[in-house]
Amino acid sequence: MNLLFPLGLAALAALALPLLLHLARRTEQRPTDFAALRWLRQKPRPRHRPRFDERLLLAARLALLAVIALVLALPVLTGTDTARAVVAVAPGAAVPPADGARQVWLAPGFPSVTAPRPAGPVPVASLIRQLDAELPPGAALTVVVPRILDGADAERPRVARRIAWRIVGEGLSPPRVPPPALPVLRYDPTVAGARYVGAALRALGQRDIAPRSAPIPRSRPLVWLAPGALPAAAIAQAEAGNIVLVARETTIPASPTVAVWRDADGAALVEAQPLGRGRLLRFTRRLAPAAMPQLLDPDFPHRLAALFAAAEPDPARVLADAYAPQPGAPAPLPPARPLWPMLAVAAALLFLVERWLATRAVRGPAP
Amino acid sequence: MPDLIAPLIPGDVRHRLKALTLVARRAIGDRGLGLHTSRARGSGLEFAAYRPYEPGDEPRQIDWKLYGRSDRFFVREAERESPVALWILLDASASMAQADARAPGYARLDAAKGLTAALAELALAQGDRFALATLSADAFDLIPAAGGTRQRDRLHHALQALGAAGGFPAEATLAPLWDRIGARDLVGIVSDWFDPACLDLATRLAAAGREVLALQVLTVTERDFDLDGGYRFRDPETGEELLGDAAALRAEFLARFAAAQATLAAAWHAAGIRHARLVLDEPLDTPLQALFGRVAR
Repeated sequence: MNLLFPLGLAALAALALPLLLHLARRTEQRPTDFAALRWLRQKPRPRHRPRFDERLLLAARLALLAVIALVLALPVLTGTDTARAVVAVAPGAAVPPADGARQVWLAPGFPSVTAPRPAGPVPVASLIRQLDAELPPGAALTVVVPRILDGADAERPRVARRIAWRIVGEGLSPPRVPPPALPVLRYDPTVAGARYVGAALRALGQRDIAPRSAPIPRSRPLVWLAPGALPAAAIAQAEAGNIVLVARETTIPASPTVAVWRDADGAALVEAQPLGRGRLLRFTRRLAPAAMPQLLDPDFPHRLAALFAAAEPDPARVLADAYAPQPGAPAPLPPARPLWPMLAVAAALLFLVERWLATRAVRGPAP
Repeated sequence: MPDLIAPLIPGDVRHRLKALTLVARRAIGDRGLGLHTSRARGSGLEFAAYRPYEPGDEPRQIDWKLYGRSDRFFVREAERESPVALWILLDASASMAQADARAPGYARLDAAKGLTAALAELALAQGDRFALATLSADAFDLIPAAGGTRQRDRLHHALQALGAAGGFPAEATLAPLWDRIGARDLVGIVSDWFDPACLDLATRLAAAGREVLALQVLTVTERDFDLDGGYRFRDPETGEELLGDAAALRAEFLARFAAAQATLAAAWHAAGIRHARLVLDEPLDTPLQALFGRVAR
């Protein structure tokens, strides 16, 4: 048993209170006439042994205060869980036949394998570390993984116990990454460079290229090349999570920016700023070959498409036999079960007992 | 009429007193008439009754004033004085004021007064003269020996006014006693007998031919020492104080007190003093029954 807040035991000092209350008044000296005094021998003062009245009530009160102090100290019970072996199965691995061990999916919440296989990517390495930390120290842990493991992170799991690392099954196919959506183009004829951008988009396969008066389709990236304020529809588009690229002449809300495309000299060509859940990109130069020679580069369409591509996910696929957990992590604190709810109930019962003892009709000799 | 003053003798005790007779060992058969013949009427100091004149009566015994009022001859009769008087020496020193905690209204002196009144009642019933001396350094007082109901009233009056204070009187103060107590008189000393001077007085009286009865009055606390807790014990006569825990003192006090009482009893016995003890939780006539009851005789 551990105490999470040992300072709470300072409340034990309150034990002195009932002791004082119950201390028999020994110090009182009742004056008494006594004619036969000559046969009373003056003895050395009797050793002062404290005596208490109503011992039962005193015991109840002391126990009550002690339990309350213990509740304040937040006791927890450790090491109570049974050291039952656990088999954790990563999604994609074959479930081994039951052998008495607890079999769980290696997924958030560790559902039992009788539940359907968890869908979607799971952080396998993180879950292995969590499982290692949460299980009692003596519990054997077997992790069943497919040959190709998804959900790895940058470090092999470092664990405190020996983990049986079994490779069964081939694993899941990598998730399909959808190609980035091409932006639609709305332009104003007064912006000279719009045709370069339109040509690049056409080369990429985009057909929705129209003047600024055309409606803006929802949930699509957008290139807005027009002077003046950005229309509310385009701002809503960005705030909904899309990317909107605007020309240098367009007025946009001021915000800190980062360069997302630099030329060979390191000067920024396109700056980005967050807007809602999406992003707002802006050309920093006039769209003319004299100001921005990159417009004429053969890879301009690809550079333009790259601005709209989603961020590549971190590599998370590894060969399982190269990702076996390595020992050496500090032994985690074993899981603890709080004791204070039970103690609080005990304190309430003791309080009832104390009240009963203190208020019953027949009490012992009054102090 | 309600009792404004509590009677000195409770009714049941008064009833039991009728079976008792005050007997002096040395006086029996001593002077022919004896103690119990004092009912015989004759000339004397104490008026007893009027009786019609009969031939043969001395003319000087006729009450002439009464003849003047009633025109008849009446002879004035008086009780003949008993040869033996009962002297009651009542200790009224401060130690007699002690009472038990459980009955604070009944002090040792109250029981001693009751004993005194009971002794006087016995003497009155058998016609003996009786006298009272209160022994106190502050209030030494004498009621000379006499008989009759008026003497009893005088005694009761003195008793009701008596309070306990001071120490035991010095020997010089007691000198009048030696003049008055007759050579063969019965002397009852009612005291707690804690003061050695009291025993000294008793032994000297006994040695001088007086028959002495030692009546000791003890409190329940002195017999049982049934105290618990811390006390400041105070001697009422010397003012000496002692702090102590009663429970720790009990065993040794009881042993030492019993030894002292045994020594006292041995001294009484050696001096030929009959003695009896009254503890405050006992009936008032306990020592009288022990001394004069059927069992004692």
